[in-house]
Amino acid sequence: MTTTRKHLLFLGVLLLIGGGCRKAPAPATTTGPVRGGELVASLRSEPANYNRYFDSSAAADVVALLTQARLVRVNRATDTPEPALAERWESSPDGRLQTLKLRNGVTFSDGAPFTSADVLFSFAVAYDAPGSQLGESVMAAGQRLEVTAPDATTVVVRFPAAFAPGVRILDNLPILPRHTLEPALRNGTIRKAWTPSSPLGDMAGLGPFVLTEHVAGQRMVFSRNAHYWRRDQTQNPLPYLDRLVIEVIPDQNAEALRLESGATDLMSNADIRPDDYARFKRLADQGRLTLLDAGVGLDPNVLWFNLKPQSGKDPRPWLRRKEFRQAVSCGIDRQAIVNTVYLGAAVPIFGPITPRHGAWYSSDVSPYPHDPARARRLLAAAGLTDRNGDGQLEDGSGNPVRFSVLLQKDITIRERTVALLQEQLRGLGVTLDIVGLDLGSVGKRWVTGDYDSIFHGFQASATDPAMNLDFWLSSGTNHFWNPGQPKPTTDWEARIDGLMRQQVQAQDPAERQRLFREVQQVFGEHVPALYFVAPKVTIALNPRVVNPTPVPQIPQLLWSADTLAVSRPRGPQ
Amino acid sequence: MTRSRAAGASLLLLLVVSSIGAPVLTPHSPLRQFPDFENAPPMWPHLISANGSVRRPFIRPLRMVDRLERRFAPSGIEVPILWFRDGALWSIDETDGPWLPLGADPLGRDVFSRLLYGARLSLSVALMASLAALLIGIVVGGLAGFAGGRVDTALMALADFILVLPAIFVVLSLRAAMPLVLSVSQVFWTLTLVLAASGWPVVARGVRGVVSAERRKEYAEAAKSVGASPWRILQRHLLPATTGLLLSLETMMVPAFVVAEGTLTLVGLGFPVPAASWGSMLRDAWQGSAFTDAPWLLAPAGALALTVLAMQLLGSTAPQTVEPSK
Amino acid sequence: MAPHFRSFILRRLAAAAGLVFVVSSAAVVLARLTPGDHLSEFELSPAQIAAERHRLGLDRPLFAQYVDWLGRLARLDLGESTRYPGRSVAGLIGERVGNTLMLGIAALVLATLIGIPLGVITGRGRADPISVAARGGSVLLLALPPVVLSLGLLFVASRTGWFPVGGLPPDGDAATIVRYLAMPVLSLGLPVAATLERLQSRAMADALRHPSVRAARARGISGTRVIWRHALRLSLTPVLAVYGVITGTLMSGSFVVEYVMTWPGLGRLLYDGLIARDANIVAGCAATGAAFLAVGIFAADAALAAADPRVAEAR
Repeated sequence: MTTTRKHLLFLGVLLLIGGGCRKAPAPATTTGPVRGGELVASLRSEPANYNRYFDSSAAADVVALLTQARLVRVNRATDTPEPALAERWESSPDGRLQTLKLRNGVTFSDGAPFTSADVLFSFAVAYDAPGSQLGESVMAAGQRLEVTAPDATTVVVRFPAAFAPGVRILDNLPILPRHTLEPALRNGTIRKAWTPSSPLGDMAGLGPFVLTEHVAGQRMVFSRNAHYWRRDQTQNPLPYLDRLVIEVIPDQNAEALRLESGATDLMSNADIRPDDYARFKRLADQGRLTLLDAGVGLDPNVLWFNLKPQSGKDPRPWLRRKEFRQAVSCGIDRQAIVNTVYLGAAVPIFGPITPRHGAWYSSDVSPYPHDPARARRLLAAAGLTDRNGDGQLEDGSGNPVRFSVLLQKDITIRERTVALLQEQLRGLGVTLDIVGLDLGSVGKRWVTGDYDSIFHGFQASATDPAMNLDFWLSSGTNHFWNPGQPKPTTDWEARIDGLMRQQVQAQDPAERQRLFREVQQVFGEHVPALYFVAPKVTIALNPRVVNPTPVPQIPQLLWSADTLAVSRPRGPQ
Repeated sequence: MTRSRAAGASLLLLLVVSSIGAPVLTPHSPLRQFPDFENAPPMWPHLISANGSVRRPFIRPLRMVDRLERRFAPSGIEVPILWFRDGALWSIDETDGPWLPLGADPLGRDVFSRLLYGARLSLSVALMASLAALLIGIVVGGLAGFAGGRVDTALMALADFILVLPAIFVVLSLRAAMPLVLSVSQVFWTLTLVLAASGWPVVARGVRGVVSAERRKEYAEAAKSVGASPWRILQRHLLPATTGLLLSLETMMVPAFVVAEGTLTLVGLGFPVPAASWGSMLRDAWQGSAFTDAPWLLAPAGALALTVLAMQLLGSTAPQTVEPSK
Repeated sequence: MAPHFRSFILRRLAAAAGLVFVVSSAAVVLARLTPGDHLSEFELSPAQIAAERHRLGLDRPLFAQYVDWLGRLARLDLGESTRYPGRSVAGLIGERVGNTLMLGIAALVLATLIGIPLGVITGRGRADPISVAARGGSVLLLALPPVVLSLGLLFVASRTGWFPVGGLPPDGDAATIVRYLAMPVLSLGLPVAATLERLQSRAMADALRHPSVRAARARGISGTRVIWRHALRLSLTPVLAVYGVITGTLMSGSFVVEYVMTWPGLGRLLYDGLIARDANIVAGCAATGAAFLAVGIFAADAALAAADPRVAEAR
């Protein structure tokens, strides 16, 4: 190829990339929702702090989604980054520099103008404010981003190393108002600036709503932000709703009853339990509720083993052998879990990646499906056989093969899953003791390494594995089975570390998928953590709610609250 | 013995015999999970066949029609009940599906079986704990009521303190001090201890109130002036006045303790899965939409009501006619 | 009797204050002794947790923390909540105590009005329909777990639409409040009514066999007068003996009813505090509960003294 052609080709690619980044503002999904009206949603807890930077609970997340906005929003339904406060961005060829052009004429809910200084301020709070919990979420592979603002409407983000997710990371950063919070940051009181005990009028945000009332333990009331910048497809201003009331209802049964009676229109955790499906289906058939299918969930429950190296003599070395974990994987009939615990509304999976993760999902990366005969062979390979014919396996010293699993009490799906696991393992001759404890005790034992195995569930929202390096890297804090390793202790973890680092920096999507597929294969071979099913999420809501965009991650409907509308006033209660 | 007492005694006897004889009375193990029978409704025995004729007791087995909507339908056949087979009083040939007399729980386990086996653990704990609470309460309350003065104040202060103390913290600390994996008997005795410790203050307060009131009545003063020893007065006069109260409290503590046993699983002090106990069964029923879709999960509440009824009848006195002249 | 009465009240006040102090101390100490606190290792990194613990002074020795707490208590400062950051525990309790008292008093009134008279009726031991129904109702209510009753009532409210499904609006006139109060009051009061009915029934049955009552009947006094003058008085003693405890417990808030009915009261606050390991909330609620218990017992003892003057004289 001649030099000129190469240059032309290069230019062409650049134009394509640059052109591809110019997108129209994300439109509302359907036309014609009526402006006005009030919606009542229920939430199971309350935020301790309205500032998402200092409270990572689900409730604070909802408040942030309603009152704050981001530069770039990852549309959870299509899983693509969309312009939000940034109307377009350009990436440098090596992907390490992102130049974002901010929207013009945007103001906060109190009328103050939004500029790039607010973006810089937000990053400063995330990284440096004492008590900030957002720092790691806006770091690329554990390193800070360099953010500069050449002028009031441009922000340049420099990644320390190539970072494939790119601007997706900006979905994690709600933009804070510098004009009201900078004094608080300077004199160290920023943590207390936006708490339930401070005046609500001080909170300024760029989101569709403003928090106008909070009665502790009961409800939060959000009113329309007249200064909200986003418009729908026909250029009407958003949000459609005048008011959004969130009732705090901690008991799931009471929450479901309120939804049934029409006192609430939707639940923040909108997915319904398999137990309740029959009842909700009847109501839907009567037209009193609508049921929506939101797809398969992103965050399955996980059983992991304690793989921290034991100091001193290990009385049960078999518990740390991969043959044991492989045998457990073979011994569990995942379809039975789908049928019994989820009543069929789930799919079996073998790793942390579910079909919802899209292209990242590979269905053939686990070599250990249900095969009880193979499970017994694997157990025998680990030295565990039934030496005295009593149906219970013993190890080399004649001790019974017995281990315990910790789980957080009072979460029905997990308790039932574990009861099923116990029964199935009993058929193999392995005794599983179930220990339900409160969350604090489980967490404590996890951190001190004082457990055999833990069964738990986490909430995830990002699909790109490069955004979950704290799980994949051996040095990560959420590398459950052996977190925070200074150096990888096993070969396979070192291999995964290397592959993930490559994957984070690679630019070509096909290359990234190939690398990640290999990661999953190594993971599937060594199974440090066992995954069984990914639930199919069904959402229930009142038929008067118009224009919902359901997704499986919480909050399934409120994530796009600015495009929600209601078709009629609420009936008499 | 009055009719009520006889009725109460027989009912209680029936309950005790059922729970002791659980292996014979239930065709299945309480641990067995039947796939495809989660939340199955009860299968009652019938006597009248589909064509209208009377035949020996039989059941109509169910099969699952829709899993997610929890719909079951009779499979159309009539399976006779077999007696005294394989060490079970009644059972059926299970080629067309298991016999679930009171339906199945969300994991597909036989509710009837779990009810009878669960009675062993739950009723024993509740009865033992309540009796222990009564004993402690009688001693403390009787002493306080009789001695009066500072002893009374001190003992009642102790009782009040225990009443108001948030028990959860105590139980949490206790649980943390115990080994991670608990056996059924360890849980049993710990529960008895904890429940008895939480129950005696109410008893003590009640006994103390009655004793201190009775103590000053004429007959007691008379006994004292004659030179009877305090023990004798207590035993023969004052304590018998509390029997009514004690019986009432006993019948109130038993169901409260069974429910509390279920609540204590929240702090890790429950019978280890998969042991059946009424408390955990009731908690399971709370989780699901039991009222509308699976009322058979509330069977332990019904059994509990029968137990309370039995105890009430057993402790009842003969009816008093008040107006003989009318 | 006036000086007697005054010292009686003073002694009772001192006892109540002592109880409140001891209970809240115990709650605070126990909270620190129990492993774990409101920071969960699943949500925060170990470094963040350590920093937070240091900031709140949780890494100091237990004695130092207790002394600190004593100092604050002397200034009547119940501390700040960690579950609701920045809010004072006293403020949180103050917001909710009114709701709990309202619910508790209403439930107590309902329970007394239903339970005591029914207990008197059934105590006569006759098998008339009312007695049988009352006894059966009591047995059922006693055996039913409180959660099941609350959920059942909520369910009825939801299906019929006559009553709201739990909650309490912050601004409401008396009529609205009564509507929202209905289900929680039934949920809280009916089991207490059953308890009172059983206690009263038993006490009445015993009282009717008492020598003094038999003597009165032998003297020819009419049956109704016998019941309402002699037997009732006698029967009140055992009932009042536990009435105080019942009152106190009701006033401190039933967590189950408040949780299921989303009633913004002290019971729920205590539960939230326990779950979130907020020691200050738990200590504050325990102290409030102790105060109410003391008041309840005092009232019951006073009533006992009034019912049986000899008891009061001897004190």
